Amino acid sequence: MPRGALSAVGIAAALSLALTSCSSSSGSAPSAAGSAQGGGTLVVGVTSDPDTLFPWKATQFTTVNVLQNLYGTLTEFDKDLNVVPGLAESWQASEDGKTLTFKLRQGVTFADGSAFDSADVKASLEKIKDEKTAAVAAASLSSVESVEAPDPNTVVLELSGPDSALPANLATVNMAMLSSDDTEEELNAKPNGTGPFTLGKRVANQSLTLTRNDKYWNEKAKVASVEFRVIPDESSIVSAMQSGNVQLAVFNDPLVAQTAQGGTVNVAKTPQLNYHVLQLNAQRGDLKDVNVRLAIQCAIDRKQVLDTAALGEGEVVGPITAPAYKSDPNKRPCPTRDLAKAADYLAKAGKSGGVTVKTIVSQGEYATSVNEAQNLKAQLAEAKINLDLEVLESGAFVDRWVAADFDAAVALNGGRPEPDGSYARYFTSDGNLNKVAGYSSPKLDELFAEGKATTDQAARKAIYDQVAAELENNAPWIWLFSGYTYTATAANVQGFVPMASGSLQYLRTTSVG
Amino acid sequence: MRALVRNRVVRRVAGTVGTLFGVAVFVFVMLRAIPGNQITANLGTEAAALTPAQQQALERYYGLDQPLVTQFFSWLGNMFTGNFGYSARAQQSVLDLTLQSLPVTFELAVFSIVLALLIGVPLGMLAASRTNSVRDAAGQVVSLAGLSIPAFLLATTLLTVFAASFGFNPNGQGFVPFFADPLLNLQQMLLPSLVLGFGIAAPILRTTRTAVLEVRSNDFVRTARAKGVPERRLQVRHVLGNALVPIVTMTGLQFGYLLGGAVVVEQIFSVPGIGRQVLLGIQQKEYAVVQSTVLVIALAFVIVNLLTDVLYRIIDPRVRAS
Amino acid sequence: MTALLRRSPAGLAGVVILVVLAMVALLSFLGLLPYDPIAQNPPSRFLAPSGEHLFGTDQFGRDVFSRVAAGVGNSALIAVVAVAFSTLVGTLGGLVSGFYRGFADGAIGGVTNVLFAFPPLLLALSLASVLERNWFTVAVAIAIVYVPIFIRVTRGPVLSLREIEYVKAAVSTGQSRWQIMFRHVLPNITSIIVIQVALSLSWAVLTEASLSFLGLGTPPPAPSLGSMIFEARSLVFIAPWTLIAPGAVVVALVVGLNLLGDGLRDTLDPRNRGKR
Repeated sequence: MPRGALSAVGIAAALSLALTSCSSSSGSAPSAAGSAQGGGTLVVGVTSDPDTLFPWKATQFTTVNVLQNLYGTLTEFDKDLNVVPGLAESWQASEDGKTLTFKLRQGVTFADGSAFDSADVKASLEKIKDEKTAAVAAASLSSVESVEAPDPNTVVLELSGPDSALPANLATVNMAMLSSDDTEEELNAKPNGTGPFTLGKRVANQSLTLTRNDKYWNEKAKVASVEFRVIPDESSIVSAMQSGNVQLAVFNDPLVAQTAQGGTVNVAKTPQLNYHVLQLNAQRGDLKDVNVRLAIQCAIDRKQVLDTAALGEGEVVGPITAPAYKSDPNKRPCPTRDLAKAADYLAKAGKSGGVTVKTIVSQGEYATSVNEAQNLKAQLAEAKINLDLEVLESGAFVDRWVAADFDAAVALNGGRPEPDGSYARYFTSDGNLNKVAGYSSPKLDELFAEGKATTDQAARKAIYDQVAAELENNAPWIWLFSGYTYTATAANVQGFVPMASGSLQYLRTTSVG
Repeated sequence: MRALVRNRVVRRVAGTVGTLFGVAVFVFVMLRAIPGNQITANLGTEAAALTPAQQQALERYYGLDQPLVTQFFSWLGNMFTGNFGYSARAQQSVLDLTLQSLPVTFELAVFSIVLALLIGVPLGMLAASRTNSVRDAAGQVVSLAGLSIPAFLLATTLLTVFAASFGFNPNGQGFVPFFADPLLNLQQMLLPSLVLGFGIAAPILRTTRTAVLEVRSNDFVRTARAKGVPERRLQVRHVLGNALVPIVTMTGLQFGYLLGGAVVVEQIFSVPGIGRQVLLGIQQKEYAVVQSTVLVIALAFVIVNLLTDVLYRIIDPRVRAS
Repeated sequence: MTALLRRSPAGLAGVVILVVLAMVALLSFLGLLPYDPIAQNPPSRFLAPSGEHLFGTDQFGRDVFSRVAAGVGNSALIAVVAVAFSTLVGTLGGLVSGFYRGFADGAIGGVTNVLFAFPPLLLALSLASVLERNWFTVAVAIAIVYVPIFIRVTRGPVLSLREIEYVKAAVSTGQSRWQIMFRHVLPNITSIIVIQVALSLSWAVLTEASLSFLGLGTPPPAPSLGSMIFEARSLVFIAPWTLIAPGAVVVALVVGLNLLGDGLRDTLDPRNRGKR
């Protein structure tokens, strides 16, 4: 799970634009590479090519998905987003939870043929943690105090305290295991990972081809190669699918998906972890008062936002969207729109005359942003809450968002399979995005700490239900809905499994007939 | 006399250098005025999670920690040594990127111009052959359509209709350079250059019509006709020959414009040309890419103008005579 | 104007088209549209054209006719403001440059050359990304692109006028340079400027549409013809009217402006006078 693209949401430039990706091509492909028994080439249509080939800095959608197929991680997610073994065969926490011991898989090699062992893990984790590397996942290792490699197949992490979120956090490509010999410069030029594919040919701004890694430790890829073909305009990708030049693409705009449907193209939709949200900034003006925030939350019919802005494609959600920890959207102060209650809250805040909230909206990041903002504005106006909309180009939006320079922001935020990964960064007082979230409380700090210290799944679910309740009752943000990811495939493409995270990790099980 | 010419050449060269320097300053300043930088372009909102030390490391990595003046002069200085900068995203030098994309746009521009001339000149001559007649009106309609139908509308409609209805979409196959597969390359150039050529045909048609009308009213044509020069020879040799000057000027102008003006069409048809390179650079805040590429486009534009001037001197009978 | 209508059927046709479009745009400025062009109404999504919805409805159930009307209004507003700005600045620049020569000419000429060497769409695109986005800044971005054209168009004639006897005479009578410029020079180049304005308006409409198409034009939700086409580009088969309506109107608008420009040229341009 890419951090940036999925978690940062709305923002990573190119996110929504780049969401189109993937396609497989059929027989026309020469099975170059001379690898194994054919399998053909899968052509994936994408709107941009990767902005970096260095996995620790990858945040954009295409980048993450390309690199995920080149690199391996200690742990992985299965199709239902459960954490499963990756380069680590197994792991074990000590009694007090302060030591985590990984047993590594043996016989794994990097693309250059060198063997993968504990020295690589140690070097990778230490470099990710080092601020000079500027790895985007550095904060996920904040509980790690030291990394030891007692033998080639064992890695021991000493933690400052129990961290049950760590195994899931290690499953993102931002935690990719690199060879200890490689530098960022070298890898940018020539990726060297343990993934199911290796980098074949790259023509900047045009295409990038992955070749099957016949020494991959797990089940080998079915296709001989995957070409990510850059077609900058999403509707041109649709055209390319209709004419049979591209066999797989991922869209996040329901309308584009609808146009792709039909003929020989199938479109499957998968609920996303990403959630659409109205972020309030509880540090600013009238929004400091919880009653004002609750008034906003009561004045919004989320279903109406979904229906008008996103063609009804999605479902109303609470804070946590990960399947295993999913929040019940009906457990919130106003599960349905209640203008009377909204008026009460405003009265309690002494703002019966109404409030004005300056709201930033990005244009072009994802298809529904402006339409959502417009509908929210219309609904809130009926409760005397004036959303003062400021539509910004993506670069300007990111600048303002990063500086927390807004009363409210309409955003599409990335959800993760692990609720600690999704929200501790925003809503704990020392979280690295707390400034942007604008809200924390001792209660939340405590709950997140407890969640990290607990390993039992049922107990964790109960804790994160409390987190969700705490968030809804204080309304630092107004959670709206989650959309779908649309995977369009040509008729001859089989075996691709779309994931809620948007990941294309199942390209390796995909075949082209 | 020779000194005078040399003087003119020197001034022209100096002017050109000044213009290019102005373009350099302008693009440099403008880029930095656009909100965001390469860090936020790459990381998006995730940039908010950077620690100060990480932020510093990234600024150093992208060279954003240097004072602006230093950034400007080191970029400009490097350009003189052939170092156009490096695109971390593409993992290629901007020079290499440009050497790939410029010929593509150049090819597209040439085809578009050829198509435009093939449509515009004959129709323009036809229209001029009898003003206010049906053929004149037909010419007017064609040129109005060319001027008025936005390229993106035509492009997007052609692409969608051809791909969905006829399965014809050579541009969906991934761009192929001419020398790798001429046949496929030509197919890929077909629709984009039709769209662009149709738009440019309009000004060329109008210029041709006006020029032909003007030339025909001149005495020497009447004289030639009186001397019994055959009509066809008269039309081609005397009329068109003399009308050529404004046509060439207009063609040069349009060609120069195409070098940077084909962005939308390149975008829709996935043609990896130089306009798209700039657009992508702006989106990704890759300063070096945008700066150097824009300078190259400006240089090409200036050169095309110069060549047009030279050509003009060669073909203009009046200049030739003197 | 009457001369224009009498002498140029093309100009007449242009005027008719523009008047019709202006009336439609006026509906939107006066708030007389049949539907709110912005408010979404999901139940009436993708309705085909009918008596109720003249041009059908789009993916959000918005009335396409109302949106097109508002879009024409926005496009026209941007084009007019942009061209007004570039006409003012450009003409003044051209006057000063041609009349004063010397340093002013050099400086203005230098700036003009720089702006010319910049590919126009890329220039507008970069400017539009710099400025905070609203309809006015889009107009400014387009205006800057067209300033150098007006400078060039005016400077030439001013240069030659400067050498004409009565201007020289005016100089000798001791009138100030500004007086001469505005009293004697400007009136003699108005026809050239008027023709250029009509043509520039059509380019400005197209540029605004292209910018919107690239996502850098009029910010939503305000409808713009370009962004409507952009959004509808893949709907050709689902709801063709969403593409055809704004497409046809853009074309009509630009055709109207071009015809007007042609008519003006036929009527006003001294070089054309008496030719027909």
